[in-house]
Amino acid sequence: MKLDTSGLNSIVPFSGTDDGLEENIHLAVSSFQLPRTTDFDGFQKKAVEMVKPAKGTTTLAFIFKEGVIVSADSRASMGGYISSQSVKKIIEINPYMLGTMAGGAADCQFWHRNLGIKCRLHELANKRRISVTGASKLLANILYSYRGMGLSIGTMIAGWDETGPGLYYVDAEGGRLKGKRFSVGSGSPYAYGVLDSGYRYDMTIEEAAELARRAIYHATFRDGASGGVASVYYVGPDGWKKLSGDDVGELHYKYYPVVPSPVEQEMVEIPVS
Amino acid sequence: MSIFEYNGSAVVAMVGKNCFAIASDRRLGVNLQTVATDFQRIFKIHDKLYIGLSGLATDVQTLHQRLVFRHKLYHLREERDMKPQTFASLVSAMLYEKRFGPYFCMPVIAGLGDDDVPFICTMDAIGAKELAKDFVVSGTASESLYGACESMYKPDMEPEELFETISQALLSSVDRDCLSGWGGYVVLVTPTEVQERTLKGRMD
Amino acid sequence: MGDSQYSFSLTTFSPSGKLVQIEYALMAVGSGQTSLGIKAANGVVIATEKKLPSILVDEGSVQKIQLVTTNIGVVYSGMGPDFRVLVRKSRKQAQQYHRLYKEQIPVTQLVRETATVMQEFTQSGGVRPFGVSLLVAGYDDNGPQLYQVDPSGSYFSWKASAMGKNVSNAKTFLEKRYTDDMELDDAVHTAILTLKEGFEGQISAKNIEIGIIGADRKFRVLTPAEIDDYLAEVE
Repeated sequence: MKLDTSGLNSIVPFSGTDDGLEENIHLAVSSFQLPRTTDFDGFQKKAVEMVKPAKGTTTLAFIFKEGVIVSADSRASMGGYISSQSVKKIIEINPYMLGTMAGGAADCQFWHRNLGIKCRLHELANKRRISVTGASKLLANILYSYRGMGLSIGTMIAGWDETGPGLYYVDAEGGRLKGKRFSVGSGSPYAYGVLDSGYRYDMTIEEAAELARRAIYHATFRDGASGGVASVYYVGPDGWKKLSGDDVGELHYKYYPVVPSPVEQEMVEIPVS
Repeated sequence: MSIFEYNGSAVVAMVGKNCFAIASDRRLGVNLQTVATDFQRIFKIHDKLYIGLSGLATDVQTLHQRLVFRHKLYHLREERDMKPQTFASLVSAMLYEKRFGPYFCMPVIAGLGDDDVPFICTMDAIGAKELAKDFVVSGTASESLYGACESMYKPDMEPEELFETISQALLSSVDRDCLSGWGGYVVLVTPTEVQERTLKGRMD
Repeated sequence: MGDSQYSFSLTTFSPSGKLVQIEYALMAVGSGQTSLGIKAANGVVIATEKKLPSILVDEGSVQKIQLVTTNIGVVYSGMGPDFRVLVRKSRKQAQQYHRLYKEQIPVTQLVRETATVMQEFTQSGGVRPFGVSLLVAGYDDNGPQLYQVDPSGSYFSWKASAMGKNVSNAKTFLEKRYTDDMELDDAVHTAILTLKEGFEGQISAKNIEIGIIGADRKFRVLTPAEIDDYLAEVE
């Protein structure tokens, strides 16, 4: 049994001849083998439980005066076990667009790369870069076609296009939201706390980067499933640039230096008057 | 998620030459949420006897209070401190009393006995004793602690080296566990002195 | 104690402030067969008369000295059946201690627990005090120890003590003979000599009992053959 999603491909306005390249890509994406089972939903549920690394995460992105800031931690965990402290959760789709990774690592990586291919094909076909709106919609439509089949993705597509900075939230349930400020993952409530209280539209790039860094740091402090390195990317008119990657282990002691505890006052004999 | 993992914990004890060290992490969480980073899991029973309690924080505190009470009573009655072995038996008996509604704690007991012979042992939540000559571990980071101790431990270490070893073992272990860490606490006990130290660790 | 209408305490103060029931119990002890104990430098000995009501009684079936734990023995003056009750309770107490701590009960603790039972029987309803005094001999981390416990529940540690019919004579004798550096063997001899004082009839291995404990911390009751050897030595 195979699920045919070839109908989705029409979304890509590809007007060239069939040169075989496109077909290969479509084959790989549009025909996943489905399990031969009567209880498909039950099977899916169990399968999803089994393949669930990189569950805890903190990612965030926001638009401000100068562009978009994208930031994330780098921890991958399986239950209580930390399987990696150096995961790249910010995926470089093309020089003008970034995606963030929350949920299943494999799902995010695969569909972001797939999105990258589609964006490039769009570029070749139309001689202009795809808009953030278009790219995010491309992804959202694909995810919607797999709805209920256990994909686990919570992502933000951020970039710069002809209309300026763009930011969308897209998830595996098919949701797609346009916004100025997002945070995704188990650490997002903590990140939102810092982000919302510190956000101003007219920040400088340095201020914005510091806000993102602080938000990620605070999320890694409170959230057991977030940690590692807080990386900060900036997307401006000239494309994205990685601004920093700070080990939060060191960041903590930079924000809160250890002050030597004051020595208790020694007891002095009271002079007898 | 198991109730033992609700708050997160890491406890370890090691034996050196005529000394021992016991260490724990300092995190108190609610599942993945870190609530406090100054939680005590290691308690003094008397000058040469310490207990570390991993597991559910509320039971850790209750059990500790009951153990202190029992030791004080023993001290009044018998006018002496408990030997580590005796104390371990008491803990074991108290845990088994609650066989069908246990304290969700796994104790680590470490002490210096007669002639300053070090003693360490651990138990499950219902009092099954497990004695060891080298090191014992407990808590949500127990798997990584086993790995770290297994590779870093050497027999007959002097106090300074023992402190270094147990600290490194603890810190590297909790770095692989979501639910423990956020600093460490070490007690080093020799026949003549007790050294307490808090460790700086990763705060994520 | 019980809920019956007799559950009030039978041991009540006399107007002069005495508990006569306890005094009667002490009289039962005072008229009982003589027992004594001596703490030596390296052990303890306890000994007692074993006078049987008739020559027809099989003297091998009567054991007045009993073990509570492997390192604690006890003997009594007074009422035999009451003694049995106390031994049973003490043994249970010792085992409970062992179950809790996986360690032998110290002599002081055992004595205190036993004394507590005896005290409870002076204050509870529907019961009478025990008609016995005990001599407890043991050896633990604190060395050799000898305790006497009375029906009132009071207890003392002794270097040497006696109780029963010939108390005062026996105590005077012990006071004269006792030395601090006494070895266990000397203590056994002294014990036999003390018993001999005021012993009615011929002393023999069949009408006395001796229990000893040394640095090996194993309490044992001497066999008649061993007693005979000691008797030959003191002749």
